[in-house]
Amino acid sequence: MLFSSIPFLYYFLPIVLIVYFLLPKIFLKNTWLLLASLFFYAWGEPKYAILMVTAITIGYVFGLLIEKFRGKPLSKVFMISAVALELALLIYFKYANFFVANFAALTGMNVPTLNIILPIGISFYLFQILSYDVDVYRGDVPAQKNYIYLASYVALFPQLIAGPIVRYKDIEEQLISRNHSFEKIALGIRRFAIGLGKKILIADQMSKFCFTFYQDCDDKSVLFFWVYAIANMLCIYFDFSGYSDMAIGLGKILGFEFLENFNYPYISKSVTEFWRRWHMSLGSWFRDYVYIPLGGNRVSKARNIFNIFVVWFLTGFWHGAAWNYIIWGVMFALLLLVEKLWTLNFLKKSKVIGHVYVLFVVLISFIFFDATGIFENDMKESVVAIGSLFGLGGLPLVSAETFHYIASYAVLFIFAIVGATPVVKNTVLKIKSTNAGEKVINVLEPLFILGVFVIITASLVDGAFSPFLYFQF
Amino acid sequence: MSTKVKNIVLTCVMGVFFFGLAFFAWFKPADDYSYTERKTLKSFPKITWETIVNKKFMTDFESYTLDQFPMRDRFFKIKGGVNLYLFGMKNNVRGDYNYYTEDGYVSEVEYPMNEGSLDYAAGRFKNIYNMYLKNKNTNLYFSIVPDKNYFIAEDAGQLSMDYDAFINTMKEKTDYMQYIDIMDLLSIEDYYKTDTHWRQEKIVDVAQRIGEAMGVTLAGNYKENVLDHPFGGVYYGQSGLPFLKEEELVYLTSDVLDNCTVKTYDKNGKPISMGIYDMEKAYDKDPYEIYLSGSLSLIEITNPNATTDKELVIFRDSFGSSLSPLLVEGYAKVTVVDIRYMNSSMLNRYVRFNNQDVLFIYSTLVLNNSSSLT
Repeated sequence: MLFSSIPFLYYFLPIVLIVYFLLPKIFLKNTWLLLASLFFYAWGEPKYAILMVTAITIGYVFGLLIEKFRGKPLSKVFMISAVALELALLIYFKYANFFVANFAALTGMNVPTLNIILPIGISFYLFQILSYDVDVYRGDVPAQKNYIYLASYVALFPQLIAGPIVRYKDIEEQLISRNHSFEKIALGIRRFAIGLGKKILIADQMSKFCFTFYQDCDDKSVLFFWVYAIANMLCIYFDFSGYSDMAIGLGKILGFEFLENFNYPYISKSVTEFWRRWHMSLGSWFRDYVYIPLGGNRVSKARNIFNIFVVWFLTGFWHGAAWNYIIWGVMFALLLLVEKLWTLNFLKKSKVIGHVYVLFVVLISFIFFDATGIFENDMKESVVAIGSLFGLGGLPLVSAETFHYIASYAVLFIFAIVGATPVVKNTVLKIKSTNAGEKVINVLEPLFILGVFVIITASLVDGAFSPFLYFQF
Repeated sequence: MSTKVKNIVLTCVMGVFFFGLAFFAWFKPADDYSYTERKTLKSFPKITWETIVNKKFMTDFESYTLDQFPMRDRFFKIKGGVNLYLFGMKNNVRGDYNYYTEDGYVSEVEYPMNEGSLDYAAGRFKNIYNMYLKNKNTNLYFSIVPDKNYFIAEDAGQLSMDYDAFINTMKEKTDYMQYIDIMDLLSIEDYYKTDTHWRQEKIVDVAQRIGEAMGVTLAGNYKENVLDHPFGGVYYGQSGLPFLKEEELVYLTSDVLDNCTVKTYDKNGKPISMGIYDMEKAYDKDPYEIYLSGSLSLIEITNPNATTDKELVIFRDSFGSSLSPLLVEGYAKVTVVDIRYMNSSMLNRYVRFNNQDVLFIYSTLVLNNSSSLT
């Protein structure tokens, strides 16, 4: 089920909230959340709900075994077994098609395709289960004895299918005890509204722009490809960060505190900084469960370079079982390496160059990434598009059709570009820093959020919704 | 207002909004039909084990909730208004349809020119010519009705087809017919603001131009009648654009038309008597269908007061529904054929082509999207 859909907003969510707040005890609330989350998942993937329950059960049982044999060799055996089983599920359901297709292409053998349908959100929930077992092994958290609590953590619908990747240790205590208040609910509603607005009013419009623009334009130009690339870049950011905002907001309404996942990544001055601001929960997951166990940077330079490439190869591959994602990840490994070895200090001190450089490389990288699916993961198409940015292919610099589309979407682009920076947030904070300003903002905020929800509802009723881009990961 | 009070107010306001709309959606009786959108609305889907496993129930439920959402027409207009007035967009895109408005006239973008479609349309006409008209002593005429974009697209900053190229292409492909140019007689005021079609009371001169080209003099003395029912055209609800007003639909009558006998045929080929104007349609989903009952495949109009025995066969689309009655005055019999609803290979069962005037009149909209022509 999509957050940005009428069935979720006006059927599922009201029922979940009414029952949730009527239930008196945390155990009952968690049980209800688990049931609701399973329903939420099964709505989109009835068959794969069983897979998720199986994965949770594996994580739960091995967590108990790891703890039971803590300090003994068996504990490590169970941890490795849990990780292996969870990775095996991920590899089979997410990567088997890719491996088989590439094996067939490499050997020329006629290998039948498996046609396994990717279970929604598998990369997210398996990473959560995997990190739980590793954390139990490391002694960072005790194993959860109550199956319902662990299952409600993994399956918790706000973050189930597109993150952020919430670690068990970050919400362990909240599963047992959490408070609910008007303040939290109001903050949650506001955050949810912002996320939904980002998704529906900007990301979906940008996605539509990319598709309509790319498919309908008969008069492409160099400017056309730049505008497409910028729209694509904005679309990915607003789609994914919008989902994270919604997850965090819904979590708050239910009394949870999830960690932030985005922090205005497009204002970064280096790729290193960009990845500290973009999909932070994934970056920190790979840091804690891959990079540091490999030795991190406390190893020889050569080994450190190897570690960086492994992490970024996996990061790219995590995003999708296709070569364009792998190249996308390796491209960032190279950029991070160059920064680490030579340019990071310069970029940090620069005022303009760093920003321009980051926006440029991210813009190029997201053409490869192709989250909107225009090129259907065909790298040749992506390369042609990138070449067209620089006038390859004999395109004119501008065309009348490009100007038409730009004129129609100009205001939306301005909204999106300003919204991708902290300008609005800082302005509101500045106004709120005075007594009078705070009062004005406090009056306007409920009206603004109500207005956003009316517009969002109007857009949804109009049928103008599309799935979240990160569902496929 | 303190932050604490604001939090309570925000929670309460949003609670009332959300739960209010949710309860309304849950308990509102389901509607069967949307007159503004001219579509049948989805009813609650069947729940079976099979429809759940194959996800059909979920998909259908989603459609049901969208179709049955309370105040959906108002929400459409809010969304359209936001696109136009908040985001400054030139268009309100709804699915595959792309609407805009200029000086109160609503239209759907028709771009680019689809040469394949023009080829196909011309091929269908040629096929009819080869099957029925060649060497049959028929006088062949062809005319093109411009869509509203011809008049307003460029001013509205929309992408616009090259209509000169469009017409020249069609003229070249139909060079066995005499082309009758009516473009200069028309302006945007000759069309309904909320509909694709032209206004019958504004095209008397068009009928006269066509009649003149075919060697027929049409006096064009008609009485204007206003439908006692407001007319919201096809774009009125479907465009999702705000601030549109319903219009007056006018139809023309005369003694000649009043005395005509009109018949069509049912599926079994049995003749059915009807009128030039079908007033029952005024209260149906599309009041524009009062003209010759809208989308009928074959209609025969006999004019007992004709001073000639000439016959006319019109191959037409919906624009022809309002035009055809205005040509009746000059003929003893007018046969109106719509090959979107009747396979052209079956025509000889109903029409004997010999010594007639034959007019092909099609709008640019149909010619540019001609796959429905048979």
